[in-house]
Amino acid sequence: MDETRPTRRQSDLADVVELLLDKGVVINADIAVTVGETELLGVKLRAAVASFETAAQYGMEFPDGTDVDRVEHAAGVEPLEDGPGEQVELDELEVESPAADDPEDERDDD
Amino acid sequence: MSVEDADGDRPADFETGRYLYCVVAVGDGDDADGESAASGDALAFDADGVEGESVYAIRADGLAALVHETDSLYDADDITRVREWLLDHQSVVDEAGEAFGTPLPFRFDTVVTGDDEAVREWLRDASDDLHAHLADLAGHWEYRVEVARTDDPEFEDDRLDELAAEIEAADEGRAFLLEKQRDRRRTELRRAADDDVAADARERLRPLAWEFEENDAADEHVAASFSLLAHEDDEGAIGEQLDAVAARDGIEVRFTGPWPPYSFAPEL
Repeated sequence: MDETRPTRRQSDLADVVELLLDKGVVINADIAVTVGETELLGVKLRAAVASFETAAQYGMEFPDGTDVDRVEHAAGVEPLEDGPGEQVELDELEVESPAADDPEDERDDD
Repeated sequence: MSVEDADGDRPADFETGRYLYCVVAVGDGDDADGESAASGDALAFDADGVEGESVYAIRADGLAALVHETDSLYDADDITRVREWLLDHQSVVDEAGEAFGTPLPFRFDTVVTGDDEAVREWLRDASDDLHAHLADLAGHWEYRVEVARTDDPEFEDDRLDELAAEIEAADEGRAFLLEKQRDRRRTELRRAADDDVAADARERLRPLAWEFEENDAADEHVAASFSLLAHEDDEGAIGEQLDAVAARDGIEVRFTGPWPPYSFAPEL
């Protein structure tokens, strides 16, 4: 069997949320402003990303609510108590991978 | 849920700003001073960014910052828009990575106040640092690994057997308390098993990572979560080690990447 290759797919959107909102280069200089710099910035954005109801709109499948938890965790909020919403299939969230040869090769279901 | 108007709140006001995606190392040369990046010896890079804005490169000192023009930060409570923003932002950084090698990726919604010249000035000021970080990161990407349990394992454990027998013989009230004890015991055993899986994964992956970070588990099914900064040539070797981890019963591995090195990005 070929060894596992990393993937970049819609189910990895939680990674995008966490990486772009919580990580990445921060400039500590007067010339730059960034979201999260003050309490006022990015509040709505985080709330949007974190809310359970809207997470369903990512079009992600939620096996055992895992992805929802992960998205909420990435957004740094307490999970809301509720069951998973509709499961929608969306291909539009495919993220192009810069270096992966075969993004279809995922270890999830063996 | 209200949809944010495009000209809605402006939490941070500035007349002129440059929204920053990433910085990459390029050949020598500056944009012709005082000219826009669309002329002179500007670097050919164009992509559609957040909100369809036109992304271009501002060059100084062998570095290029990929930016678009903006006069505000991005904030909205409409999840669809936010999702698009994040994916559009990421696609620009991905394109930059393909064109120029590993980029220094900035946090979403980072804006340099001022015009192209302000960005050039900043690039020159931070040039030594930026070049050093880019040289360190060259050829390396972030890979993210999550080791999770697909189901609760069945434990063979004397104490659990004892409790099961006691529960069988107990009246309702006592049985309830004993079941609480059994749950606690199961949790203990599960944690021990998780620690074992995590230790195994850590031991296998750490030698392949230039930098290695442990993340908080996103939920109770996750036994271990890591971010690795690793060379692209080691991707296959990491996958191989993860196959061994995933070969355990009831364990599945999520392996994503290659990402720009967000988790290993410096403060400047």
